Amino acid sequence: MLSLLQVLSSGIAIGCVYGLVALSFVLIYKATATVSFMQGDLLMVGGFAGLALHLAAGWPLAFAVLGAVLAVALLGAGLERVVLRRALGQPHLVAVLLTFGLGMMLRGGVASVPAAAQDMYRLPFATDTVALGALVVAASHLWVVCATVVLMLLLAAFFHFSRAGLALRACAEDARMAALMGVPVARMHTLAWALGAGLAAVAGLLLAPITFVHLNMGFIALKAFPAAVLGGLSSLPGALAGGIFIGVVEAMAGLLLPEGAKDVVPYVLLMAALLLFPQGLGGGRLGGGGR
Amino acid sequence: MTDPGRVSSRTESTRVPVARAGNAGHWRRHGRALATWGVLLMAALAWLGAEFALGQATLVATYTIAGLGVIIIVGQAGQIVLGQGAFVALGAYAQALLVHAGVPALAALPLAAAVGALGGALASLPAGRLGGLYFGMSTLAFALIVEEGLVRWESLTQGAAGMLVPAFALGGWRADTPLAQAGVSLAAVLVAFGLCARLLRSRIGRAWQAVREDEAAAAACGIAPAAAKLRAFVVGGSLSGLAGGLYAHWIGFISPEQFGLVFSFELLMLAFIGGARQLAGAAWGALVVVAMPQAIAVLRDTLPGDWARAAGLELVLFGAVIVAVILLRPQGLARAP
Repeated sequence: MLSLLQVLSSGIAIGCVYGLVALSFVLIYKATATVSFMQGDLLMVGGFAGLALHLAAGWPLAFAVLGAVLAVALLGAGLERVVLRRALGQPHLVAVLLTFGLGMMLRGGVASVPAAAQDMYRLPFATDTVALGALVVAASHLWVVCATVVLMLLLAAFFHFSRAGLALRACAEDARMAALMGVPVARMHTLAWALGAGLAAVAGLLLAPITFVHLNMGFIALKAFPAAVLGGLSSLPGALAGGIFIGVVEAMAGLLLPEGAKDVVPYVLLMAALLLFPQGLGGGRLGGGGR
Repeated sequence: MTDPGRVSSRTESTRVPVARAGNAGHWRRHGRALATWGVLLMAALAWLGAEFALGQATLVATYTIAGLGVIIIVGQAGQIVLGQGAFVALGAYAQALLVHAGVPALAALPLAAAVGALGGALASLPAGRLGGLYFGMSTLAFALIVEEGLVRWESLTQGAAGMLVPAFALGGWRADTPLAQAGVSLAAVLVAFGLCARLLRSRIGRAWQAVREDEAAAAACGIAPAAAKLRAFVVGGSLSGLAGGLYAHWIGFISPEQFGLVFSFELLMLAFIGGARQLAGAAWGALVVVAMPQAIAVLRDTLPGDWARAAGLELVLFGAVIVAVILLRPQGLARAP
């Protein structure tokens, strides 16, 4: 029973990371109708940016984390302005290939820094464990869950009470109508990319104490696709819930099923979900918050 | 319009562009394309040396067949596929296992194509009712499952260690020289092109184009969009499976990682570079995709300074080419007919 709880807690933590990446993907997809294949690379860049600011530039950890998130958000906004804007209104595959190419360039750019290409790094926070009664939880896992909850609350507040958040939702609902109502749609697209990139960076920084920071840490973003599909590809809370669900099921599969099944389970779930619940597990009812 | 090539029935009137060109024009165009490729091959033979050029020609031809699969799914039927590499992998492994089991290579090739077709059907099935981006998601998931399955099913596939594949043999004759391999793959390309061209002029091909342009209108005309899409994935999967079967023989060694996500995107890029609307796009795209790593390697060696040796440069250049092609030549290299 205890080992089950142990596995569950780590599954929820890693699921939160999947959920955050899925959230960033769905946010961009909903607001700009662009399919982003570079969330994993943005996540990786976020991790390395935090690392560089803290270890190489000597900033205090909190500032380094904040700086890294802002830097990646700016990167996302910049890429939208210069390149991704051209994919608007084109078939999905154009955006898929564009973002894949940009992601490759990001990965190659980081790989060209010799120090980054060779080693795995650890951000020096949340390295110990916390005992909750008999249950021992890694502090990094607690951090992930708490940060996700706080982020969700912030995002919900942003989407419901701020002018920009409302405009972004209007834009996602119907860009033409939003434009007619005076919403600066182009600026909203930039904002959506900045938010999406920033969220990916946050996911990368939260992942840093769990899996280390390394060049291929972005591959974890592939698991965000099943999460997004389970959430119905259109709901932000759904994406997060999908991510946590995937994380938990994956952890359970690692415990109960033979070796290797763990890595396949998310994708089997994706195909099963498309077959059985094409609207996502929530059937659209989950989609209150970020719609 | 008193063109003698034109047939006056209503269904045939959609063929105007083909009919206007007439049969003679048709063959003239094919002749010109073949001549262009012949000249290219001769130039490569003279410039790169026979052995290397023939090896590259074999590779281009095999990539062309795999790329035709993408062009059918993406360019003709207008759907998304993100896991085409898995169909190639299925074909390659099917061919390798069948040949090891004693099936003649030529008889195994159709079976490899059939396994690829089955893969296409399975990958697209979950998204059949949804279409669009969901096809991308389900084919991506399928590809990741296949890759993991090939690694884990060690008793059959020897896992990540990969397996050796004997040379392509036909009766007593073995295709183990570059010339023989190039010959076999060129013949396969011509057959694949012929079949695809025939298919595109048939009811099935027109249904794909109708679904691509407007699904609702196609459905109103009595085309079943879901069936048309499934057929596109079956045909696309079988072409890539066939390419996989040949590829296994040419490379002589296959392992799951060769057919990963990057390979799938390479094939997508191939279709985009060549132009997904025309079958000829597959050949042009294959040429670029096969030549690019070598071009990048040459560029790396000529660039001054240490940073050019950095590990990441290749990735950056590869990504930059994708971005540049998408931004600058969205229609691809092949001209519209």
